[in-house]
Amino acid sequence: MRPELARLSVESQGDVELARVAGEVDASNVDELSERLLDAVSNQARALVLDLRETSYIDSSGISLIFDAAARLRNRRQELRLVVTPRSFVGEVLAAVSMERSVAIDPALDDALRAVDAAGGSNGSD
Amino acid sequence: MAADEVIRLEDVQRVTESALAYLDLDDLLEELLDRVTDMLDADTAAVLLVEEGGRTLAARAAKGLEEEVERGFRLPVGRGFAGRVAFTREPVVIADLGDSPVQPVNPLFREKGVQSLLGVPLLVEGEVIGVLHVGSLVRREFNERDIELLQLVANRVALSIERSRLMVQGRIAATLQRSLLPRQLPQVPGLRMAARYLPAADESAVGGDWYDVIDLGGQSLGFMIGDVAGHGMAAATYMGQLRSAIRAYALDTEGPGEVITKLAEFSERMHSRMATVIYATLNLTTWEARIARAGHPYPLLIRSDGSAEFLSDAGGPPIGTVGGQSYDEQALTLDPGETLLLYTDGLIERRGQQLSDGEAALTEVAISAPDEPELKCQAIISALTKDATIADDIAILAVQTVGLHDLLEVKMPASPAQLMTSRHLIRRWVEANNGSDDDCAAFAIAVSEACANSIEHAYGPKDETIDVRASLVNGDATVTISDHGKWREPRGGNRGRGIPIMREFMDEVSVEPSEQGTTVRLTRRLREGK
Repeated sequence: MRPELARLSVESQGDVELARVAGEVDASNVDELSERLLDAVSNQARALVLDLRETSYIDSSGISLIFDAAARLRNRRQELRLVVTPRSFVGEVLAAVSMERSVAIDPALDDALRAVDAAGGSNGSD
Repeated sequence: MAADEVIRLEDVQRVTESALAYLDLDDLLEELLDRVTDMLDADTAAVLLVEEGGRTLAARAAKGLEEEVERGFRLPVGRGFAGRVAFTREPVVIADLGDSPVQPVNPLFREKGVQSLLGVPLLVEGEVIGVLHVGSLVRREFNERDIELLQLVANRVALSIERSRLMVQGRIAATLQRSLLPRQLPQVPGLRMAARYLPAADESAVGGDWYDVIDLGGQSLGFMIGDVAGHGMAAATYMGQLRSAIRAYALDTEGPGEVITKLAEFSERMHSRMATVIYATLNLTTWEARIARAGHPYPLLIRSDGSAEFLSDAGGPPIGTVGGQSYDEQALTLDPGETLLLYTDGLIERRGQQLSDGEAALTEVAISAPDEPELKCQAIISALTKDATIADDIAILAVQTVGLHDLLEVKMPASPAQLMTSRHLIRRWVEANNGSDDDCAAFAIAVSEACANSIEHAYGPKDETIDVRASLVNGDATVTISDHGKWREPRGGNRGRGIPIMREFMDEVSVEPSEQGTTVRLTRRLREGK
């Protein structure tokens, strides 16, 4: 019996990768999670939407994962957006480190997908 | 009294003398061979022992025929002179070797010029374990009295050999047994554990009882106790196999019921002996326990209010008895300050006593004994073994959840795998002291961050611990996290964010470095409960 601290599920919606993290993220599982997350994003993907609404706990190591992922994706000209329930615990932790200045945060999944589409549209007109 | 009878009495005393028991086996055999040649006026004497398998005899000690031992002489049971003694289990007398149908296999007898021989079997409970013989260089007829005296010595030799064998086996079993028990129990935030193993007083009765605690990936703990039928090497070895099998099943099975079901199948395939066992898991976040039991005495749950209860649900037969069984689980959630006590039957079973008397005695002492698990185990064992020698092994394992009073002190292994357990324990503590959900979440992350700092910056890769201490004064909750290492300034983007996060959720955060280590102090006023 070895329950996982966090579960990661990834699905593709067109050229957007949608990753959901349910459970707790801390120093004990962040490395594994980070590897699996970046593996899931193909070169063809335009953006990664990371859904943290089911994440019950995240600490500074999880915050680092997000900053690192954002930087790597930016280098590959891919976008990262987060979905976080406002005033949730995870929302407070992200606010404590001013995450919103580096990574876009949306309150609902639809908002995030729409925002990616809009950005994609402008890219397409280049 | 006739003169030869007087001599005989002295002879008997010379071979039964209790002081001989203190000699080790080799010295004892040498001494007895000396004495017997002297008493019987013989020139040679030898002890041969039946080897494993029962088909051959090997020279073990000799006088006047020392080369027999040095050359490692062996002969098949049934052949030659000594072989015949072993085969018939009767004394064999050869008055004249030159004129006997029975001849020694070993040419040494002729080389030495042995003329006459007398051999008797070494018997233990009717089984032949060897042969003792004496020889004479002058031709003589050994008489009834000689045979009787030699048999007396043979009995003494047989007894000593058997005792020495049992002791050696018992010692090996005891050593094996100890090597299979955990040298120390894991340290888990929020739990206090203690265990004891007492071998049976008689070394040859040792073996077969065990306990073990398994770390199931940081979020739950597996613990087991068991008792294999029988004693000695075979029991200790089988115990080791069961213990390893449980460890293996525990890591890829759903729960204790399935683990014991698989263990029973394993035991069936091995056609092995009977064993009783309990395997249980404890979720370290919720303190939910799941217990599966195969024929083993009931676990005892000792509550913090001083009551106690045997957990008798969901049991099945011992493994290695009835095939095709599946085992259920008894589930319960431990409250703060409760103790789950697992033990083997040696603790409660006394000859001529009802089992229920033993259970009643255990309940009584378990309740009145001190709370601290080490002291509790010690007090229980002392009380229940004080009037008796320990006829059977005893194993006992106590697992206790900490009390969540206004003061909480725990030691946490400095490993990221322990972070979750620690923050959930702090969360429980805040909740128990009427903190709100926000308070719980705030302390969970601040304490977790402080612990992560210590793990990453204070210690090398060695096993170290962090002290977490929580106290409540006038509605202000304070948690201190102390390490005993050398603090390095947080570096890199990651840990640099830990302190701002702590400050965000706490009213006060201070970092106090000292020669002994670093203490992070976190304080927050608890907002009213929900």
